[in-house]
Amino acid sequence: MSARLGAAAGLGLLLASCGGSSLMLLPDEAGGHGAVAVLEANGKPMEAVVSEPDSRTKLGSASASPRPMGKMNADEVALLSGMPPPARSYTLYFVEGTTELAPESRPVLDEIKEEIARRPGVDVEVTGHTDTVGKAEDNDVLSQQRAEEIVGVLATVGIDRSLMTAVGRGERDLRVPTMDNVENPLNRRVEILVR
Amino acid sequence: MLGRIFAFAAVASLATSPAWAEIARVKSSVGAAAIERGTARLPAAPGLQLNPGDRLVTGKDGRISLSFIDNTRFSVGPNSRILVNEFAYDRTRQQGTFLTQVDRGSLAIVSGHIAKSGRDAMKVRTPNSLLGVRGTRFIVEVSK
Repeated sequence: MSARLGAAAGLGLLLASCGGSSLMLLPDEAGGHGAVAVLEANGKPMEAVVSEPDSRTKLGSASASPRPMGKMNADEVALLSGMPPPARSYTLYFVEGTTELAPESRPVLDEIKEEIARRPGVDVEVTGHTDTVGKAEDNDVLSQQRAEEIVGVLATVGIDRSLMTAVGRGERDLRVPTMDNVENPLNRRVEILVR
Repeated sequence: MLGRIFAFAAVASLATSPAWAEIARVKSSVGAAAIERGTARLPAAPGLQLNPGDRLVTGKDGRISLSFIDNTRFSVGPNSRILVNEFAYDRTRQQGTFLTQVDRGSLAIVSGHIAKSGRDAMKVRTPNSLLGVRGTRFIVEVSK
């Protein structure tokens, strides 16, 4: 066992001293895992897909041979714990045809402000969504205008305008899936992403 | 009415001006940590906005974390030199392309919308390889 540990440490030193690159594939935060394809090694095209979670792969050879990752070292643990937290999403509804927050959305506005205050280097994406009434292109314009309008409203209630970007997503992200040309107040909403 | 039209026109030109568009913000940094932009060297302070072509540089006690506008997240380790070669993102369609080059050091990545928007839309280059990101959380290390 200690001989194997010694050999592993020796290999690590070797990798560290010869300018090599390596890949560690980790489980994602939701518990699943993705994959990384190796598309080139030393300038030569190849395609090998690494999809084993908790694996280490030495890069730069014509084939990819993932090995079990083993224990992460202190640097790797620190690297992962330094990752920014995932963005948080909030949904706001407004009184039909106005910029007045629907009563049920008022407490959400307070939560958004608290979340903004908690995050250093924060940025905020304000995304307008429509329902499927009308043409898709018109809904792109409408949702962008709606988002711009709500950025203005949020600026008046104390959210720094320089943090915010308005985005119109039209009818691409329906909260309630519907056929085309269906009116739906739950789909007409503004999503606030605090990042 | 005319005023409103002008206001929208101004907003539209801002939103489509690629030279001004931010692609990421620094969320935290410790130790020797800088963003190199051309010949300028900017301290990697929280809130600093990144442009395509920026280089993330850390010293032996340095770390930087940042989030991109497609929700990709980076954690940069000590002794690193990382170039964001290319970043193009359409916020409306949530599609784009993203190429990062790790010249040395370590980079942990949680991929975002760009990686999902097309096969190998997000790539990472190291001195001896090119990776296509198909999701989501991984570390690339390049030793000196």
